[in-house]
Amino acid sequence: MISWSRRRKFLTVLLFVAPTLIGILLFNIFPITLSTYTSFTNRNKFHPNPDCDVGLTGVLDPLCWPAFRENAPKGLAEPYRLQDPLIGNYQGVIGTLFTGEALGALLQIGICFVPLIAASVVNRRFAKMASPPVSPSVVWLGALVLGLVIAFALNVGEAFGALESSGDFFVVVFRTILFVVARVPLTFLIGLTLALILNSQYLRGRTFFRVALFVPWAASSLAILMALVWQFFFRERGVLNQVLQLVGLDPFAWLSNGATAFGAIVATDIWFSYPFFMLAILGALQSIPGDTYEAAEVDGASYWQQLRKITLPLIRPAILPAVVLTSISAFQMFGTAWAITRGGPVVSAGQPGATEFVIVYAYKQIFSSQNYGRASAFAVILFIFLFAVTLYSLRLTRITKGAYE
Amino acid sequence: MNRQLSTRARIAQYAILIAFTIFALYPVWFAILASGRQGDRLYSLNIAGMFLPVEWTFENYQAMLFEKPLLGWLRNSLYVASLTTIASLLITTSAAFAFSRFRFRGREFGLILLLAMQTFPGVLALIAVAQVLTALGLYRTHEGLILAYTTATLVFSTWNMKGYFDTIPIDLEEAAMIDGCGPIQSFILIALPLARPALAVTALLGFLSGWGEFIFASVLVPAPDTMKLAVPGLFSLAGDQNVPWGYFAAGGMMIIIPTIIVFLFLQRQLQAGLMAGGVKG
Repeated sequence: MISWSRRRKFLTVLLFVAPTLIGILLFNIFPITLSTYTSFTNRNKFHPNPDCDVGLTGVLDPLCWPAFRENAPKGLAEPYRLQDPLIGNYQGVIGTLFTGEALGALLQIGICFVPLIAASVVNRRFAKMASPPVSPSVVWLGALVLGLVIAFALNVGEAFGALESSGDFFVVVFRTILFVVARVPLTFLIGLTLALILNSQYLRGRTFFRVALFVPWAASSLAILMALVWQFFFRERGVLNQVLQLVGLDPFAWLSNGATAFGAIVATDIWFSYPFFMLAILGALQSIPGDTYEAAEVDGASYWQQLRKITLPLIRPAILPAVVLTSISAFQMFGTAWAITRGGPVVSAGQPGATEFVIVYAYKQIFSSQNYGRASAFAVILFIFLFAVTLYSLRLTRITKGAYE
Repeated sequence: MNRQLSTRARIAQYAILIAFTIFALYPVWFAILASGRQGDRLYSLNIAGMFLPVEWTFENYQAMLFEKPLLGWLRNSLYVASLTTIASLLITTSAAFAFSRFRFRGREFGLILLLAMQTFPGVLALIAVAQVLTALGLYRTHEGLILAYTTATLVFSTWNMKGYFDTIPIDLEEAAMIDGCGPIQSFILIALPLARPALAVTALLGFLSGWGEFIFASVLVPAPDTMKLAVPGLFSLAGDQNVPWGYFAAGGMMIIIPTIIVFLFLQRQLQAGLMAGGVKG
């Protein structure tokens, strides 16, 4: 790039970036700061109003800014103030997760995964050898069996029960992770299968299938309306039950049972999100030169060998960022669950429902219970967690690298 | 994979494709059927009616168009979505150009900051956003909503545009600069026209984030009925005790079908714009 004076460069860059900066400052950084502050206060429906004379409240709460200060609502209730102890909301959110019993339970569950981690280390070692003593799948299988045996020996079910009673936080986050673990790999598999088929040669009607399979993504921009349509399928007199009756089976209340409601939401969300993977993988596949396969063909590699040794490694760099981004957005899924179950079915009052994923839970805390302080604490914890995941995945995928670096 | 597939593999391929095509299209088809059904019933107790158009009426569409405030909602949505698109294009392309072409202190940091900000759950920032808008005097107005939407598109669009600018060779701009073209001119005259596929994606995503969004729209413009946007407006119909499902489905179709058509038309550009851009490694 041609050099220019330092001052002019600064001004030019500022001109280009300023609108974005202002937007981020007003609608991202400020809300995050205010939420962090709120998370240390007892703001809720009984204490909704600010006390502008308290230092930070006066600065941060927009109601206290000069233009509003005079008209700031006073109300009859006490204004909100800092919690005593300061981290009270965080304690409330996390519950008894950090007590001996719960941590012990967490450790017990962690131990069950040790064989799997060991297996991955061993396999990486083996991959460097010319002739590994055991095949990778045997190692995985052994690790899996060992993990299950340990799980059984340590009575993980009980440990899990102890964790569940530690508070909403564990329950909600665990369910959400379960949702991500169920949804993302399934979506990936479906997307991969369809992309491979669409990419194969001599396929008749390719355009038709590609367009038809793409429709859900177009509809996903209106997720909440389409999710309502999906809800109709699972209702007591919905399509699913009518078809069941036709075959002679008993209808089932899909959305009143925790497990099936969860399954319904996973199915719906897969419908929304597989086309994205399909398209991304299709694009990556088309960038693989055909002669790569010809060489493999000459060497007599089977379809599966080609898939595992050529196709997957080659599309990996293009697909990994997509996997990370979809995982994060799946973690923050809201519309589908809200339209279909509203977080229900609720088993007992005061407990989060079976499909109350993190954002649904937070939404309810804000708009139903108006428990701002608590919800903000929850948001801050989530933010730290997601922030860490994002940074780690950035390192993993190197997407911040520019083209000319 | 070059080899001619065996017949059995062929049949398996078509079976999978057809099964997923049905999976993909049935929900939309179901909604179309429901929009043409008489009365307030969503279900036809006749099982064939779940799959085939055994009865059809345009009553629901007529009612939605002429009796319900749907047209007004659609107009509001169109206004908000179009302005969001324009604002988002203006802001994100210039920022993306700077991030792609200039080397300045805090560049890497800025890019990561953008991504990191996105991880704060939007719903949870909503109260604070509403307060900021109140402070600006924009709460309960469409303009406030446009501001909120535009900032929501910033992250993805900036990243995607930056990725696309990275793939455009810098030589042309350098040549232009030797001829005395400043950075702003080279941005507008050279880089922008070359980035058309990515612009299409940015525009489309900007438009859709305004057209189909639900939570922000329902909280930031909660009332009156005439100011609502299409999606929250329709959703409020569905929240009624005795839901007029036929109306709901007809209204939904009038929102969804244009979206699907636009998507299908822009499919090629979408693929090109997305592949070259942000999501790629």
